[in-house]
Amino acid sequence: MSEQPLICSLCQCPLEIKRVDFEYVGHTFFADAPRCPRCGQVYLSEELVKGRVAEVEMELEDK
Amino acid sequence: MRRTTSVCPICLRRVPAVRVRRQGQYYLEKTCPEHGGFSTLLWQGSQPLEDWTGPLPETGSEEGLRCPEDCGLCKRHLRNTCCTLLEVTDRCNLNCRFCFADNAQTQDPPLEQVKGWIDGIVRQTGGTLLQLSGGEPTLRDDLPQLVAYAKGAGCPYVQLNTNGLRLAECPDFVHALAQAGLDIVFLQFDGMTEEVYHILRGRDMLAAKQAAIQACAREKIGVTLVPTLVPGVNTGQIGDILRFAMSRTPDVRGVHFQPVSYFGRVPELPGDAQRYTMGQLLDDIVGQTGGLIPRESLVPSSCDHPLCGLHGDYIALPRGRVYPLSNRNKPPAPCCGPADPAQQNRDFIGSRWSRPEEARCCPPESDLHSLDGFLAWKRAHGFTITSMNFQDAGNLDLERLRQCSLHVYRNGRRVPFCAAYLSPLAL
Repeated sequence: MSEQPLICSLCQCPLEIKRVDFEYVGHTFFADAPRCPRCGQVYLSEELVKGRVAEVEMELEDK
Repeated sequence: MRRTTSVCPICLRRVPAVRVRRQGQYYLEKTCPEHGGFSTLLWQGSQPLEDWTGPLPETGSEEGLRCPEDCGLCKRHLRNTCCTLLEVTDRCNLNCRFCFADNAQTQDPPLEQVKGWIDGIVRQTGGTLLQLSGGEPTLRDDLPQLVAYAKGAGCPYVQLNTNGLRLAECPDFVHALAQAGLDIVFLQFDGMTEEVYHILRGRDMLAAKQAAIQACAREKIGVTLVPTLVPGVNTGQIGDILRFAMSRTPDVRGVHFQPVSYFGRVPELPGDAQRYTMGQLLDDIVGQTGGLIPRESLVPSSCDHPLCGLHGDYIALPRGRVYPLSNRNKPPAPCCGPADPAQQNRDFIGSRWSRPEEARCCPPESDLHSLDGFLAWKRAHGFTITSMNFQDAGNLDLERLRQCSLHVYRNGRRVPFCAAYLSPLAL
């Protein structure tokens, strides 16, 4: 069973997997994530946020 | 001029003290009614002390303080326990010129007694980074049993403070320590030339240090190199030590500098030329690495007093390059609530000094900024620079002591490190 395509809540067009840049405490990171080709809105999945993004945050945490 | 409290270096009587600045250098000055006036160099370097510490309340001059002779954590101590040091033996296989510990060669406390101490530590702290120390703790054949017991009792990280000689000679012993769950080896590592070891340790040591690092690497135990910095002996080797350490990631996880402090009786009170202050260390880390380690990447301790510790967090890249992660000018990471600084500190150093399970292969350097690439690089080649500037009877400042989170477990009490080892500096 294929997953439903993600639709932009603003533009109603399907999101495309694109490189997305993040900034966190002065460091820039990129990852592939679904993004609206029209308005640029990005969908960050729970898996990404609670997974790799949280791990990166932990590695950058200060004492 | 800043007011605090110190002790007389001769009789250890508590005396009022002031921190003063003269010609760009900072001194702790105090007068004992019996033994007269004393001045000790606290800070020199290109950066003013106040820029490093930021504004701080004068907590060392409050009325009614009974530190250090009454030490054992009391309600007026300002920090919880981050790390607990436990002496498991008095014996040692070296006779060093500088050592905070005794080399009394007395009989070791029995295994069951030490286990009882570990239980006491866990009861009091709820879990701690436990430093097994001595003496030279590897002289105990039952050390792996102690490590396993501490892990089982609830210490999230167990660290071994060692000169590395037995680790270098006995791979089976290192294997047993790894199997027991040892996380961190704090390896005495004073420099890159035998001359340094001859002066400080009385013998050749370089080959043993290399062998100890290799033995720990085989068993995936994280190694942090610990140089005792003595002016005129090895303070010119800071850059070489850092370059060596960074070239040995992931086997080596960091360098922890300890500027010399004077415990025990010395022939004469140490003069200013025998002091090596944090201001000098900051200048020398930056200068001797040719700026590879930028000054702004070195951050004052927020757990202990800013004059007691610093840290920097990095990724060691190929061909001797460094990607700094810490920056004291950048905003702190968002936080969801007030954290306990001691616990935060313990998690920070514990996670960085121990070694992750992952393989050492990294993706191409171009992927350092991808989420996956960053995590792979950081875990394999993450590297920390830390420093702990111990106090002695010359420079003891109760403002600093009250903020200490490294505690020595003695007689059922946790005693701030510099109070535990404080001794009169008299003939």
